[in-house]
Amino acid sequence: MFMDTEISSEDVSILQMSDSFFPTGLYAISNGLEALSHVKKLKSKDISQFIAVYLKQVIGPSDCTALGNAYESCKKGDLTALLNTDENLYFMRIIEETRSASVRSGNQLLKCVSYFVKNKKMLKDYQNGISTGNATGVFPVSFGVATWSLGIPKNKAGLILLYSFTVGIIGAALRLGRLQHFDGQQIIHELRPVILESVLTNIDRPISSMWQFAPGLDILQMKHETMVSKMFIT
Amino acid sequence: MSSNRIPRIGIGGPVGSGKTMLIEQVVPILSAKGYKAGIISNDVVSKEDAERMRRNLVTERGLMPEDLVIGVATGGCPHTAVREDPSINLSVVEEMELKHDYLDLILIESGGDNITTTFSPALADYFIYIIDVTGGDKYPRKRGLGIENCDLLVINKIDIAPYVGADLKVMERDAKIVRSSKPTVFVNSKTGQGVDAVVFHIIRAVLFEATPKSLVKN
Repeated sequence: MFMDTEISSEDVSILQMSDSFFPTGLYAISNGLEALSHVKKLKSKDISQFIAVYLKQVIGPSDCTALGNAYESCKKGDLTALLNTDENLYFMRIIEETRSASVRSGNQLLKCVSYFVKNKKMLKDYQNGISTGNATGVFPVSFGVATWSLGIPKNKAGLILLYSFTVGIIGAALRLGRLQHFDGQQIIHELRPVILESVLTNIDRPISSMWQFAPGLDILQMKHETMVSKMFIT
Repeated sequence: MSSNRIPRIGIGGPVGSGKTMLIEQVVPILSAKGYKAGIISNDVVSKEDAERMRRNLVTERGLMPEDLVIGVATGGCPHTAVREDPSINLSVVEEMELKHDYLDLILIESGGDNITTTFSPALADYFIYIIDVTGGDKYPRKRGLGIENCDLLVINKIDIAPYVGADLKVMERDAKIVRSSKPTVFVNSKTGQGVDAVVFHIIRAVLFEATPKSLVKN
């Protein structure tokens, strides 16, 4: 049988984890885009900027950093460090709606992965930590644990996280009727350097210097919490 | 699977078919028999259904605590929310199971058309699909995954059948052909006519006629 040595089963896992069909509930998250679309007539350029700001100011320095630290903790078998990353990121999620969506998605991600990955102690220990109240399962940390469990390289895991976030926002914009599908793909294409740069800058950042700063986006998320009519969870 | 899993019923159907009103009729009957239910309502654009049920079942009738009616936004994709990726619903159900282990059942409402199976088996143990007569008496014989596969087919708004030219006998005959031995119930959710039969099926097929948890002596 012909075997291409340049591809591996980990590559298939990369595709599986980056597929929006993977069940994590992220399709219901707009990260404040829905609230923004109610106060501003959004154009393609606005949506591209919205995503870029998120990647540079929030998802890169906080989520990607948390993922990198969680991944390294799994590699070292250091549960204490993993729980510390979980706690730090959880308390950085200052908007209740966003925090609870992240925890729910993270928990379901772990449940799904542990359904077919049975032999990873850190995965089991982290889930035990959640069930005993010592961890929350916040999504980027769960994602770090899941991708490590599947043998996906750390940098690729970071890429998947940021790519999935970008695609998620594009999907929300399409469903909100703010984009047509070619424009959505063009935005993803144009944001490739931002995604790449955000991963490379943040994936090895120590947990002590994890940060996020996007007060305008935080306010949007807060506004979303009180909206009467909404299609998205955040 | 969680050891404290509470039986879950998925109630699906097209927009306006009467899902919310059916729940508003079913819950008080179950409550009078001692069965306690929690409700999760998937709504595409608002939490209006959840708020209506909260107002009716919690505030006005005092049948359940407020946090037992939860509205879930579906990101515009009810099919995804309950069939392809039920993650958020599962999370909410599990939280409900942990906080309220005294519940006898959880009702999960979602819009969904007849072309999908609506509920993932991981989410719902029993699937009620509700349609109404305004689609015409051809509806059951046109088949579709909802009508064919649901555990209980409910046909609502029977009071207006004569005004829309829908023959209930034709619908009953066709439902029997399409669904074989699976039950079909005709109701008027506005008045409660026929709802007892829905409750009967729930108690028999989902709760296995178990004594309500609140009435079990320790």
